[in-house]
Amino acid sequence: MAEPYLVVEHLTKVYERGHVVALKDVSFEVRKGEFLVIIGLSGSGKSTLLRCINRLIEPTKGRIFIDGVEITKLSPRQMRKFRRRIGMIFQHFNLIKRATVMTNVLTGRLGYNPTWKTLLGIFPRSDRELALRNLERVGLLEKAYVRADELSGGQQQRVGIARALMQEPELLLADEPVSALDPATSHSVMQYIEQMNQEDGVTVLASLHFLSLARRYGTRIIALKDGELVFDGAPEEIDDRKFKEIYGEEAEEVEIR
Amino acid sequence: MAVKPSAAIDAARLRRRLFALFLDWLTWGYVAYAVMYFLQEYWWSRTLYGFYNPLTLPGWGWPAAVLGTLAMAALCELTGYSLGERALKLERREERPLSREELLTGKAAGKPFWRTQWGVMSILLLALTVALGWHVVKISPEALLNPSERAREMLGEIFPPDFRYFFTPDPAFELRGFPYSILNLMVVTVFMALLATVLGAAVALPLSFFGARNIMGVSPAGWFVYGIVRGFFNVFRSIETMLWAVVFAIWIRWGSPLAGIMALTVHTIAALGKLYSEQVEGIDPGPVEAVVAAGGSRLEVIRYAVLPQVVPSFWAFTLYRWDINVRMSTVIALVGGGGIGDMLFYYKNEGEWALLGAVMATIVAVVWAMDYLSGRLRERIV
Ligand SMILES: Nc1ncnc2c1ncn2[C@@H]1O[C@H](COP(=O)(O)OP(=O)(O)OP(=O)(O)O)[C@@H](O)[C@H]1O
Ligand SMILES: [Mg+2]
Repeated sequence: MAEPYLVVEHLTKVYERGHVVALKDVSFEVRKGEFLVIIGLSGSGKSTLLRCINRLIEPTKGRIFIDGVEITKLSPRQMRKFRRRIGMIFQHFNLIKRATVMTNVLTGRLGYNPTWKTLLGIFPRSDRELALRNLERVGLLEKAYVRADELSGGQQQRVGIARALMQEPELLLADEPVSALDPATSHSVMQYIEQMNQEDGVTVLASLHFLSLARRYGTRIIALKDGELVFDGAPEEIDDRKFKEIYGEEAEEVEIR
Repeated sequence: MAVKPSAAIDAARLRRRLFALFLDWLTWGYVAYAVMYFLQEYWWSRTLYGFYNPLTLPGWGWPAAVLGTLAMAALCELTGYSLGERALKLERREERPLSREELLTGKAAGKPFWRTQWGVMSILLLALTVALGWHVVKISPEALLNPSERAREMLGEIFPPDFRYFFTPDPAFELRGFPYSILNLMVVTVFMALLATVLGAAVALPLSFFGARNIMGVSPAGWFVYGIVRGFFNVFRSIETMLWAVVFAIWIRWGSPLAGIMALTVHTIAALGKLYSEQVEGIDPGPVEAVVAAGGSRLEVIRYAVLPQVVPSFWAFTLYRWDINVRMSTVIALVGGGGIGDMLFYYKNEGEWALLGAVMATIVAVVWAMDYLSGRLRERIV
């Protein structure tokens, strides 16, 4: 595989409000099937980077290619269609709290169905079957018709994963998927993401707060500091010196098991 | 990340302090005006008819008043935490270490508000405003204690109310050629309120999305529509239902229930539209993000991410509006809107106090019952 799957070229994002430069000329490439972990302090631009890749946030400058398509050039309409191929999971799960787990999971199929049908709440039988299979996969089959806000945090994130699975994505963006969860639950959620990566061949970009998690799950790590790319390499390459460079002189490494 | 240069911060702070000074100046101007008003009325015994032009001052008075109030404002600014500074939330930070004693006794939290400068000032202003209002409106409490002859007569006859025409129509009272009983007309009135609420909510619901910043604020065209819709809500809401009733009574026909329904509906659309849009603007943006990320269209965002979050409060607001409409519909006949009010004002004009009592009792009972009903429904939903 010579062709990189995802190419980010000279990406810059400036938030007009507050004149914050959240990303400064960031460039990197990701190959198909990689599990890329993004680390960096709070405010270093991790969320901004991930949201530029599916254009939830419009980049100020730079180009992004996915599978040879320059997505920064796509019209809003084309982009909407392209987003079917990019799954996303969120730090705070972003579920529709007052709706059932089933409805939440089915929203992963919105991009595949005509709007007039989805507005009436009609999804094809095949979609519903897929939803049940994905719920089974994350171990929540019996919760299908429970309201989403009645689930625990870990369960909610698994619903988020099932929703992303519904898109049958090639690329998964995970923005701090486990930072609202306890250590044990974190690992179970990370393992579902790892499974997507290894069994379904989904390329994963995940931002993580704990270096130990990054080392355990990532095949490659990039680090951001004040919006700049300060590290790009294998997990083992991050030694004490590198660590201090990314997180600052006073930082101590914390283990999470 | 860019840090703002401190010069810009200082300039902004200076501007805000000047504005605070200006507010204090206005406040003192108001105090000075009130003092002059009382001086003229009591000590110089001039009868004052208006409140804006009768103050007579000697030639040097005006510059003295202007400079004097300005001096007072400046004094406030310099000596304590003035009202203007408080209103602009300008903090006056004293960077000094707190002693353990201060922390223990709670002195570190600052003085209670009635002992701070701005607290004293606002209490003074409130008292002054009430006193001034009392004199400008020329309230005489004696009138309240000695009711007129007619009132005595009315109170005597209104109890017990006469329910003779509750079921059977009063032959003397006729609306557009039809006789009406109290019950008949009350049913008409309740339906007026119901129709207006349902129609109003049905129009306000879709409109409210066009009036929500987070839905429309994506393109210049979106902002334009947002501005128009919000403007419509604000203008139409500020025209009271009673005024709308006048408009529609002339347009359609005096005393037609349709005029009342239209008036209630228009005001309901504007009022509910504004409340609904504010709810839409207050949603958690997370689910919106998720639906967009999954390739959802704008309509799908509304259907799956926005509606589920706002439906409970939409219901609550609609029920609340229903209460208002029921109460409004009972008096809207005063300006030609039709309904039970026609009967109310007919008996009032005829001096049929016992019959009037029956109408009023019915209105109270129905309004209370509807209030209770919607209250219970609201409890269920929220
Ligand atoms: N909508 C916005 N408007 C203005 N500034 C923003 C906005 N979103 C983020 N920022 C700023 O951009 C910078 C990068 O934010 P971002 O959320 O990407 O950081 P992060 O690495 O994800 O941090 P965290 O770990 O806290 O989530 C921050 O300084 C933040 O204040
Ligand atoms: Mg973030």
